[in-house]
Amino acid sequence: MKGRVLNTSIMASLTAVVVVLWVMLASVPKSSAIPAFSRKYQTSCTTCHNNYPELNDFGEAFKKNGFKFPKDDEVFVKEPPVLLGSKAQKEAFPGAVYPGEIPGYLPIAFRYEGNFNLNRKQPPGAIQPTSFTPRTDLFAPNTFTMISAGSFGQNLSFWIDDDISVDAANGNGGMGDGWLKYSDLGHGIGLPKNALNVRFGQFELDLPFTQAKTIYLSPFDIYNQPTVAGSLGTANNSMIFGAPQRGIEFGGTPNNGNFNWSVAVTNGSNVGKATRSSKDVYVRLSEKFNLERDPESRNAIQAAGATGPRDHTSIRLGFFYYYGKNQQNQDGSISTNLATIEEPFYRVGGDLRFKYRKLELFGLGMFGHDDNHLFTAGPPATIAVAPAVKFSGGFIGANYWLYPWLIGTFHYDAVNSAADFVNGTPASQYHTRNRFSPGFQVLVRANIKVVGEYQYTFGQPYTDPVTGNTLFFRPNTFQTGIDYVF
Amino acid sequence: MSLAKIAAKVAVAASITLVLAGVSWANEIKGKVSVQGIKSAENIAVYVDAIPDKKFDPPKDGVVVDQKKMAFIPHVVAVQQGTTVEFLNSDSVGHNVYWPSISGNKKLTHNLGTWPKGEKKPFQFNDLGAASLLCNVHPEMSGYVVVVPTPYFAVTDKDGNFEIKNIPSGKYTLKTWSEDGKPTTQAVDVSAATSTVELTVKK
Repeated sequence: MKGRVLNTSIMASLTAVVVVLWVMLASVPKSSAIPAFSRKYQTSCTTCHNNYPELNDFGEAFKKNGFKFPKDDEVFVKEPPVLLGSKAQKEAFPGAVYPGEIPGYLPIAFRYEGNFNLNRKQPPGAIQPTSFTPRTDLFAPNTFTMISAGSFGQNLSFWIDDDISVDAANGNGGMGDGWLKYSDLGHGIGLPKNALNVRFGQFELDLPFTQAKTIYLSPFDIYNQPTVAGSLGTANNSMIFGAPQRGIEFGGTPNNGNFNWSVAVTNGSNVGKATRSSKDVYVRLSEKFNLERDPESRNAIQAAGATGPRDHTSIRLGFFYYYGKNQQNQDGSISTNLATIEEPFYRVGGDLRFKYRKLELFGLGMFGHDDNHLFTAGPPATIAVAPAVKFSGGFIGANYWLYPWLIGTFHYDAVNSAADFVNGTPASQYHTRNRFSPGFQVLVRANIKVVGEYQYTFGQPYTDPVTGNTLFFRPNTFQTGIDYVF
Repeated sequence: MSLAKIAAKVAVAASITLVLAGVSWANEIKGKVSVQGIKSAENIAVYVDAIPDKKFDPPKDGVVVDQKKMAFIPHVVAVQQGTTVEFLNSDSVGHNVYWPSISGNKKLTHNLGTWPKGEKKPFQFNDLGAASLLCNVHPEMSGYVVVVPTPYFAVTDKDGNFEIKNIPSGKYTLKTWSEDGKPTTQAVDVSAATSTVELTVKK
């Protein structure tokens, strides 16, 4: 009884602390976010983000224009850049270094994310010696990220982000994106503005829906799908579609930014060193159709209405294709008697995004195909073509802005992979690994978010220790936490 | 006395009255606002409060509030009740204008919408009080329209100085409105050509 009273008292105290913190955080906003561009233009995060880091229509236009306002950028800059040479030096070129500029401020911003995880209680048979999951885990993954971005004058822009710390000290952080972009390369030959740009470095591919800057706590599973044949053959492709790549990308956004194209040539080894001589190619095409009835809104960067600006009512349709040639047995690891085995692979898919006032609907379908071989040790050692390793899947989702600061979110992810099912990695009750993820996001300030997401995931098999029967357990999780940038 | 003489005397008397009246209309209030606990004495509205049994017609000329370089210009504008304010967008980005209340009265909230560069939208302010101008595209933007009951008002300069001109002789109540300070009320006797007042606005 005494213990119960004590527990009640502790719970009451904890509740009080949580309520006080919540009230402190949720009181009427006074300040705005101040990361790099907020400082430069002395404007709020919400100028470019409806729900950071997701960009609104204006933010998209700003990004496509090399991190500059689409019109009259100089007028809006409140922190003038430092000129690295007079503008008149252009006339003296090549007799002088071409003049450039650097941001007049230190263009650095920081982001912190820490979540509270509430995990479903594991049944005894489902607990593996090395995979015990406690019911709760506070402030995980506890990520601290440094972001630097800006422009070096008229055409050059840059972006660098680095997870300084993941899961506290000695975490496996690292550089996400680090690139330099030259915009409007086609200006000299009469191409429309920003019809041809080039980007070098390490970058997330021009994905239909960003993984690196997603608003969700859980990833898009299809982006993270490797191809491992296991017992089915030699295919062993660790390329992660949603992870950054090292390479060069040509792209452009003509037609007032509504048409988007990009072609990237990459190592195909994500952020690691190149593991093969051949390069991969990624192609993306998309067209945004502006469905705004009012011509004034249709032509503006952000749609206008009686209640203020919002994103255009629009539908965006896209297509993407990734091709590479994976190589096995380069070092004779399969057999010294065999040459290198080439296994071409591709990922192909389409996507759709529909925006209507406070509602955003989206979806992506993707198919993966890797050539595969069967190796027989022999002697003699032989290699023969085996059925390709394939997977398919995608995601659909919706976001709804109940208020400008309160957003309901949902996404459903599914991955169908016969190889994964056969290899049991990860085991699934069916061929499909799927997950429903409803959630909420509260913009406590323009730069501070409280986020929450429930992940209702697929059943994973385990053996009942009493009956010996195979049962299935869904390791569902509720995640909530804090996310702030400054 | 002949009718002509009477008429002449009346004319002279009327002329003197008109001259005297003209002199009294040329009065002015000059003053300085000091602040306590507030960063600046700039942009404080100083106005003569409602005068009993005296009504004023709304001015014919409107006032323009510009949106330029993502700021409301001027930051504070005082207008007589019934004035039409035209909101201009001089920026190449879309701006919105709305106010959530007038002096806390949320029933008086209004949203003028969003419009592009070069266009104006008018609104006639018939309710007394301060409308806090906001732009929901750029939340950092802020401005105020202070609607006052008489045509005798001014907004302080960066040193807190103000000047209310063309005020007839009489005893009035002078009031202030400021973004961060409490309202101040002070009686003022406008009998001389120039009356000087000192006001203090506290946080």
